Amino acid sequence: MKRFRKWMHKEPEYPTIPEDYHSEDEESPRLTLDLEQNELIFRRIFHNSSDIVFRKIGMAEQALWLVIFLESLVDEQIVDEHILKPLISNTSKQQEFDTQAEELDDQIISAASTNLSSNVTDIVRHVLKGHAIVLTRADSNAMMVKVNGNKQRSLEEPSSEPVIRGPRDGFIENISTNIGLIRSRLKSSRLKMESITIGELSQTEVILTYIVGIASESLIEEVRKRVSRIQIDGILDSAYIEEFIEDSPYSPFPLLHSTERPDVVAAELLEGKVAILVDTSPFALIAPMTFWTGLQASEDYYVRWPIATFVRWVRFLFTAIAIFAPPLYVAVTTFHQEMIPTNLVLSLASSREAVPFPALIEALLMEIIFEALREAGIRLPKQIGQAVSIVGALVIGQAAVEAGIISAPVVIIVSITGIAAFTIPRYSFANGIRLLRFPMLFLAGTLGLYGIVLGFLGILLHVAMLRSFGVPYFTPVAPLTLASLKDVIIRAPIWAKTGRPHATGMSNPVREPAGQKPGPSQGKQPSENN
Amino acid sequence: MKPFLCIGLLFTVLITSGCWDRTEINDLAFILGAAFDLSDEGEYLLSLQIAIPSSSQGGTGGGGSGQQDKFFVLSATGKNANEAFHKIQNKSSRRLFTAHRSVIFIGESLGRHGIDDVLDVFSHDPRQRLKTYIMIVKGGRGQDVLLTKYPFEQVPTEAVKEMEISGSGLAVTLRDFFIAASSDGISPVMGVIEPESASEVTKGNKNKIFNLTGTAVFKDLKLIGFLDDAETSGLMWATNRMRLGRINAALPDRGGTVGIVLSHAERKITSEVSGDKIKVNLQLHGQGSFVENNTRLDISRPQNLLLVQHALEKSLELQIRKALTKIQKRYKVDSTGFGQEIHRNKPKAWKALKDQWDSKYPMVDISIDVRLSINGAGMAGPPLQLKDKETIK
Repeated sequence: MKRFRKWMHKEPEYPTIPEDYHSEDEESPRLTLDLEQNELIFRRIFHNSSDIVFRKIGMAEQALWLVIFLESLVDEQIVDEHILKPLISNTSKQQEFDTQAEELDDQIISAASTNLSSNVTDIVRHVLKGHAIVLTRADSNAMMVKVNGNKQRSLEEPSSEPVIRGPRDGFIENISTNIGLIRSRLKSSRLKMESITIGELSQTEVILTYIVGIASESLIEEVRKRVSRIQIDGILDSAYIEEFIEDSPYSPFPLLHSTERPDVVAAELLEGKVAILVDTSPFALIAPMTFWTGLQASEDYYVRWPIATFVRWVRFLFTAIAIFAPPLYVAVTTFHQEMIPTNLVLSLASSREAVPFPALIEALLMEIIFEALREAGIRLPKQIGQAVSIVGALVIGQAAVEAGIISAPVVIIVSITGIAAFTIPRYSFANGIRLLRFPMLFLAGTLGLYGIVLGFLGILLHVAMLRSFGVPYFTPVAPLTLASLKDVIIRAPIWAKTGRPHATGMSNPVREPAGQKPGPSQGKQPSENN
Repeated sequence: MKPFLCIGLLFTVLITSGCWDRTEINDLAFILGAAFDLSDEGEYLLSLQIAIPSSSQGGTGGGGSGQQDKFFVLSATGKNANEAFHKIQNKSSRRLFTAHRSVIFIGESLGRHGIDDVLDVFSHDPRQRLKTYIMIVKGGRGQDVLLTKYPFEQVPTEAVKEMEISGSGLAVTLRDFFIAASSDGISPVMGVIEPESASEVTKGNKNKIFNLTGTAVFKDLKLIGFLDDAETSGLMWATNRMRLGRINAALPDRGGTVGIVLSHAERKITSEVSGDKIKVNLQLHGQGSFVENNTRLDISRPQNLLLVQHALEKSLELQIRKALTKIQKRYKVDSTGFGQEIHRNKPKAWKALKDQWDSKYPMVDISIDVRLSINGAGMAGPPLQLKDKETIK
C-alpha cells in the first residue's frame, strides 16, 4: 500500500529550462541610453523568431528611432499609419535634438493606448501581446503602443447553446471582444473587470467580472483567491481554470457553469454571481453553479413563462429518463418480471427470444455503441459526421435487431435515453448525467430495483453534499428556500420574480419593485399621481 | 486513497451478493392460467397454460410456417398442488413463473369433492397473486378451458380475465374467496365458466368460446350448486356487487318490453332481530338510461315513464327475490352475507345467532325495496317506426 501511495504521489523531476530572459522576480535588465545596445538586447531575446521586425528610422547612418513589433500579432496598417508615418515625417525636425519617449507620446504617435517602460522584461511581454515598441536614441524609456491585430473570427451563434428566440451572439476567442459583449449588455460602471495573468508561458489574461453591490464581497474574494493561486505553464481554455478552482474535483457534475452566451453571463451577474473570462477561450465560467442551473436553458427566459415551465418539466422528466430508463429496463426484466403487465411481458419475452445476451450486457453494449456513435459524430469532419452517425445508427440498430443479436426494446430504450440526454441544455451537465447511467446499469443488473434505489440515494447524497463556492449545489431545493423555487419548479414571469436568488443575491435582494403585473390598473396609476 | 478502497469494497458486495436471483425474461415460462381437476385415481390434476412468446411477434422469425400456437398446456397429477407443480417444472425447460397467472379454473368434479386442499398453496406461496380470478368450470374439466383457443386474445385466459374485469358477470378473486371463506356469516361464491361447444354457435370455426354463466355456491368449501345468469345478477344486487347491469321488464298490456342499462347501483341493508324473527331489509337504488323500448308507450311523457319505471322495479325485485329464494330455500347457505351484516350492525344479537346461523338463515324474512331513477327517455319517446296514432301518449 505504502509503495502504491508513493508511486501515486511521486514528484516528477522537472528539467531545468534554459531561460531566454530573466523571470520577473530576478533583477530585470533595463534599457540603456544607447540605441544600438538596446537593439542588441532585443535581437538576442528574439533571436530565431522570424516574425520579429526591427524597423530603423533616421537620417543617414544615424538611426533616430527603432520600432520593434511581431508582425504576426500587430495590425500592420495601424503601425504604418500611426507610428511609422508620423515618425518618418518628423525625422527632419528631430535631427537636431533627441526626442524623449514622453514627447513621442504627447506629440507624434497617435495611438490610443500607450505606455512607457524601461524594463526589458516588461517590454518583451508587451511585444508578445502585440504592442509595437518605439525606442528613441537618447532615452532609456521605450514607448509601447498597442497595435493588436484584429485576427479573430466574427461573432457567431454559439453552437453549443443555440436558441430559437433570443440573442444570437456568442463569445469568441478574443477576450476584449467578449468583454465588450458583456459591457454592451450591462452599461454600468459597477460592472467590474479584474484582470489576472496566469500561465508562465501562455501569459493568459483572465478576467473576473462581477457587479459591485450585487455579488457578495466574500464570493468575489474567494474566486479571486482561487484563480490567483493557479500556477501552470499554459492556460489554453477556461476548462483549465475550471479544474483548478472547482470544489469537488472527483464529481461527475460540473461545479462551474460554462457558457458561450454573453446574455447568460449578464443574467448570472445580475443574480450576484461572478464570471471568469479567459483569453483565447469562447467559454466563460460562472461561479457558483447549482444543480438546477444545469437544467435551465437561456431560452427559458425568452419564451412565454407557461411554456418555459412546461419545457422545464419535460426536461426534468427526461433527465430522470436519461439516468434511469436503461437501468429500470434491465432491473425489471431480469429481476422483477411480475411488475410488467402481462401483455407487455409477453411481447418483451418474444422480442428477447432469440437474443443470446443477458439484458444487462445487451443494454451495456447498445449504450456503449451509442456513445461511440455520438463521439464519432462530434469528432469526424462535419461533412462526414452526420452521414456516419445516421448510417451507424440505422445499421447497428436495425441490423442488430433483425439478426437477433439485440432485442428491439433495448434499441428503443437506448434511443430514448440518447434523446433524453440531449434535452439537458448545459453540455457539461449532460455529460455528467450520461456518465452516471453506467454505474446505475451495473447496479440494476446486479441488485435489481434495490440497486437502482441504492444508486439513486447515492446520487442524491452526492449532489446534496456538493458545494460550489460555498453555495449548496442542490439549493434552493435542499436547503429549501421557497422564494427561490420560483425559478426552479416553474419559470415565474419576469414581473413576479422580484428578488434575486437566495444563494447569491442576498447582499442586494431586491431586483425590481413588486406590482408590475401588466393589466388595466397599471395604466391608471400615473394619472392618479399627477 | 480512501475513496478507491471504499469503492473497491463496495464493488465486491455487488459481484458477490447480487445476481443470485437474476433470471432473464426468456428463461421464464409465463403461466397465464391454471386448472385444478380431480383425476380418475383421485389425485389432483394440475394443468398450466404457458405462453409461447415467439409466436406473438409475427413473421419476423423463421420461415413463417403458418399460424403457430400461442400457448401450450402442461399437466401433471400429484397428491397436492406442490407435487404436481414440481412434476410440471420437470417437464419445462424454463422456470415456471406464476406472477402473471390471471385465472385459476377448478373443474366441477373437484369443486364438488372440495377445494380446501388446492387452495392453501395460494395463501402460503408469496409468488402467487391474490388478485387472481378463481372460477368453476361448469360441466367440464378445468383443463378443457385452458385448451380452448379463443379468437380475440393471444391466450384464452386473457380473454377470461378481460371478461371478469368488464364486470358483467360475477368476478371473484382469490382474495375475495379467502375473505368470504374465513369470515363468519358469509359463504364464498365463485364465478362460473362454461365452455361452449363449437356445434352450437360457431359451426365450422375451429375456435371455441366460453361463457360466463352465473355463480357457483359453496358450502364448507364444497360446491353445492349453481345460480344462472339472472339469479347471479340478483345476487350481485343483494351483495352490492352490481356495477353495470341491464334490467328488462315486460309490459304485456302495452305490447312489449323495455330495457335499461344501469350506470349506478347501490344497496343499503338494515336488519331487525326480535327474538326468533330475523328481518333483513334491502334498499336498492339504481340509475340508468333507456336502451330499448318495444312498447307503444311514449316514454318521454312523465306518466308513462313512471309506469315503465314501476314495471322495471317490479321485475328487478322479482329477479332478486328469485335468486334469494333459491339460495335460502334450496342451498340453505348464506352466500349473500346477511349474517355478516347482522354481525356488524347488531353484534349482541349475532352472538346468540352465530352458532345456529346455518339453520336460521333459511327462515330469514327478506324485504326488498327497489327504487330506480331513469335519466331521461333516450333519443326518442315512442319507437320511431310506429305511426303517431299507434303510440300511447
